[in-house]
Amino acid sequence: MLRVSNIVVKLPDGKRLVNDVSFTVGRGEFVAILGSSGAGKSLTLRCIVGLTRPSEGEIALMGPSGKSYRTTDVKAQELRRARRHIGLIFQGSNLVKRLTVLENVMLGRLGHINPLRSWLLGFKDAEAREAMVALDRVNMTSCAARLAGSLSGGEMQRVSIARAIHQRPLIYLADEPISSLDPKNAEAIMAILQPLSRETPVIGAFHQPMVVAKYCTRAIGIRSGKIVYDGPAQISARQLEHIYGDSESESYLPVRPSGAQPPFYGSNLQPVLHEGATV
Amino acid sequence: MASPSMTPFRQELPFLEWKRGIAGQRLKQAAIAGVLLVLVALTAWRCEVHMKTFVLGIDKGLPLVGMFFPPEWSGMVGMLQPLGVTTVMAMAATILGMCLSLPCALAASSNLAPPPLRLMMRAFIALERGLPEIVQMLLLIAIFGLGPIPGLVALSFSSIGMLAKLLADAIEEIEPHMLEAVAGTGATRSQVIRYAVIPQILPALFANGLFRFEFNVRAGVILGAVGAGGIGYIMSTAMNSMDYQRACMATLLTLALVFITERVSDFFRGRILAGGLLR
Repeated sequence: MLRVSNIVVKLPDGKRLVNDVSFTVGRGEFVAILGSSGAGKSLTLRCIVGLTRPSEGEIALMGPSGKSYRTTDVKAQELRRARRHIGLIFQGSNLVKRLTVLENVMLGRLGHINPLRSWLLGFKDAEAREAMVALDRVNMTSCAARLAGSLSGGEMQRVSIARAIHQRPLIYLADEPISSLDPKNAEAIMAILQPLSRETPVIGAFHQPMVVAKYCTRAIGIRSGKIVYDGPAQISARQLEHIYGDSESESYLPVRPSGAQPPFYGSNLQPVLHEGATV
Repeated sequence: MASPSMTPFRQELPFLEWKRGIAGQRLKQAAIAGVLLVLVALTAWRCEVHMKTFVLGIDKGLPLVGMFFPPEWSGMVGMLQPLGVTTVMAMAATILGMCLSLPCALAASSNLAPPPLRLMMRAFIALERGLPEIVQMLLLIAIFGLGPIPGLVALSFSSIGMLAKLLADAIEEIEPHMLEAVAGTGATRSQVIRYAVIPQILPALFANGLFRFEFNVRAGVILGAVGAGGIGYIMSTAMNSMDYQRACMATLLTLALVFITERVSDFFRGRILAGGLLR
């Protein structure tokens, strides 16, 4: 189980990018975090693995045996120990492109391997076979010997899921795992993540409310760093508007439909207005 | 009502702004060209470079060119050994430089090394790059005496300087997501270097190393003339004793050596960058 309590991420000037975010995620949950770009979704996920250190708040991960791992206010060694139990799935381009697919999967268990052995001997055959099982779960065994850099976006995303599976984590974190994929590949990734979430909870940042409604068990809406929605994944249009805000934001400038006549100005630069048009 | 000669006002102003920008750029380019031209004229005047010197030089030099031919073919076999000395010196310096530049590059990259170490290493690299090989050579002769050893050390030193700088830049270009994904599994910094950094920069190391080998062969000839032995030494003694036909033979052999190393290095570099070699 993951417990995030009251985390705050501040810029040096005091602006709060993540503002008092709290939630818990337990067994069998597939949680989607929704929100506009820059709302604080990724930052929240980065805090959970300790890639960004929150200025306030606490994050703890509880294992089945009752052991707990914190990723806030801990030393580097303790943070590494906690990270072993968090399976990370980024948005594309996070594989080591010059290593083979299978080696990339095996990287998932680096936290359990002595660094000296990494330098002198490398991975064992038994580990490779185990990684093959993880690769099989995402249906990518045929690509095991290829270089990761030669894969397509959807294939890369699957391999990074296999890497997380091979890690045998207590929770999966997926930062926009389907944002760079076409709808068909996106569905395929969701169809892998959904059964995975029944064994181990999954938290992901998404931009597709329709896909979320179909696959996830719960949604958390973040707006300007604050949680504004926490409930079922099936979100009404009204609630969506609440999460994404209305069109006053300048990043939502409407695009002119191709057939529409714009207000016309003559070459003498004098405005020629249509009736009822406003400048 | 929309005729092609009439531009909507909405487009007119941004268009004029763009045009102004382009005109500004043209003006800047013309100004730079003008400044360069004035500089060339000024330096030619101050350093007393006259076309007359060229013309008279050609007049005096032409008969001298005839004295270089025919090359002293009988000396060729004897020159093969010094040629080998130059090649081996360049090769050993390149290999030594490649091995030592890797730790230097790791310590000089902003995304791996802590700032104080990085600044120290960057300063060290700048120092190595700031001293031309020939200056290093003259300093080293004072320590080691004449012979290929000071040449080898001078070439390795400047190889480290160039390769470490290029490699550090290659390391800084690695996508941060890739490093974070590996670190996020609980891997130590040394494991991140072993599995995410080294595989990514290995091609850059070898491609730049081959390039440096070409350079070292040419620089080795020059260092030979100031005391490192090899074909450069043969060349300089022949010129000093006005044995121009022997000098011509040495020149031909040097040309052949440089040409062959260039072809070989091009071939392997192409293979490495295409991903055939080194996987």
